[in-house]
Amino acid sequence: MQRRLRFLLAAIPFGALSVAVPFVNHVEPRIFGLPFLLAWIAFWVLTTPVWVWTLGRIEGHW
Amino acid sequence: MNAPVALGIIAVIVIGTVVFALSSVRRFTMSPQEYIVGGRGFGAVFLWVLLAGEIYTSFTFLGAAGWTYSFGAPAFYIMAYGTCGYIFYYFLFPWIWRLGKEHELLTQPDLFHVRYGSRTLTTLVAIVGVLALVPYITLQLSALQIFLTVSGQGLIDPVLGAVVAFLLIIAFVFITGLRGTAWASIVKDALVIGALLFVGLAIPLQFFGSIPTLFDQVLRAHPDHLILGGLTDSKGSLWYVSTVLLTGLGFFAGPQSTNAIFSAKDENVLRRNAMFLPLYQIVMLLIFFAGFSALLIVPGLKGPAADQSFLAIVSRYYPAWVLGFVTGTGALCALIPSTALLLSSASVVAKNVAGDLFGIGLDEQGRLRTTRIMVVVLGLLALVFWLYYRTQLVNLLLLTYNGIAQFVPAFFFGCYWKRAAAPAITAGIAVGITLAVALSATRIAPFGINPGFVGLAANVLVVVAVSLATQPRPLEEVSAG
Repeated sequence: MQRRLRFLLAAIPFGALSVAVPFVNHVEPRIFGLPFLLAWIAFWVLTTPVWVWTLGRIEGHW
Repeated sequence: MNAPVALGIIAVIVIGTVVFALSSVRRFTMSPQEYIVGGRGFGAVFLWVLLAGEIYTSFTFLGAAGWTYSFGAPAFYIMAYGTCGYIFYYFLFPWIWRLGKEHELLTQPDLFHVRYGSRTLTTLVAIVGVLALVPYITLQLSALQIFLTVSGQGLIDPVLGAVVAFLLIIAFVFITGLRGTAWASIVKDALVIGALLFVGLAIPLQFFGSIPTLFDQVLRAHPDHLILGGLTDSKGSLWYVSTVLLTGLGFFAGPQSTNAIFSAKDENVLRRNAMFLPLYQIVMLLIFFAGFSALLIVPGLKGPAADQSFLAIVSRYYPAWVLGFVTGTGALCALIPSTALLLSSASVVAKNVAGDLFGIGLDEQGRLRTTRIMVVVLGLLALVFWLYYRTQLVNLLLLTYNGIAQFVPAFFFGCYWKRAAAPAITAGIAVGITLAVALSATRIAPFGINPGFVGLAANVLVVVAVSLATQPRPLEEVSAG
């Protein structure tokens, strides 16, 4: 269970930035003026520290 | 008439940084441990600076903007892959670091030797790793040449620029070493932030009024530039996915990254960096803005010339001192990573090929001497490569990843699968690298998939198949974490 949760915490942002991208390959809707594709990538890059922090927390490193 | 001003500012920035770095490192004696892995004592902040210095190179500065200019959305992979890399290596960092610490390792092939115990594999990894880094050194060299040529405004031709760049790089390595590199990175990072805010924010705002307007205009003039092409097109969606996977998984697979990992003080320093470094990737947005701005302001640059896109704006519309500031900052972004690249690859040749294989330079002094000679030899190799193969900077980076990503199974299975042994890993790397090189050389990309990724996939299959087909080694021989 905990092993699966740890895997998931890493796989979600990793997948969002790689295999999910062909599915969000649009210009619209524009987010803050950015094309959707670029905004999607920027969003996941920005939130990755949150996922990794949670992962480290569960593993007891901080 | 402006050239002396711009070149003068580059000289001031580079020399100032070297002096700062030297005044910070003088109190350490330079043993190989100190010179190559920074004495294994880097804390979280210092390691952050070292990694940021190694990763945010002149490629970030020129190559990413150049690709945005030429192709648009495919360049977005550059923001995504590093982040994927941090997530993946969060799991592998501790294993790599622990083996390094326990066995006092200096180089990447040493690591694989401890885990797999095969001289053939160690030598293969040493040679492939060093050769794979040559295009990456060439990338830094040609970027430095671009900065010098653009600032020289006709005074310096490209070949002279490249030779001067080579000499600068060699001098920088000899003077600083890895610890000096980290100190120099502090200066560099401060300047980079300033330069990026200028080219990525001030320029678009001045020319277009706002970022949304910039994108409105790109959309009108180049409607295909903001999304990836069809699924199987060249640089289409499958290309994007395979390239992010290849470069993300390979992000810390190069010999220079293993050295950086060894230089950490403890495992958590590495985990913390894996958590925070993705934030740094967000500055790539500014580079994309700069590339798109250049596309509209100075259209018509083709091939490698596109790498100079935003420099063309700066040199055409801004005073010489601004150009000097931007190119001087860029020059640091080429010099600092070159140091890490050359030092790690030279130390691999000195230790794992000259030392272990031929018995040359076995004591500390001898090792240091061979390392220094190899720095010059590899620098020359990069220069020769530049003379014969001029291409866009991104292509040089991808060439490097075709090679180093083939080590990913050796790391991953080495950590997680005790059954993976030397024959399987050796066969996997051999198959992977052959396939990647053959496909790249013949420019065959099935379904638009990155050739390096095809190699990596074959590599993984071979490792799994051979491991399952051969007897596992008795447990006590395996030193896996």
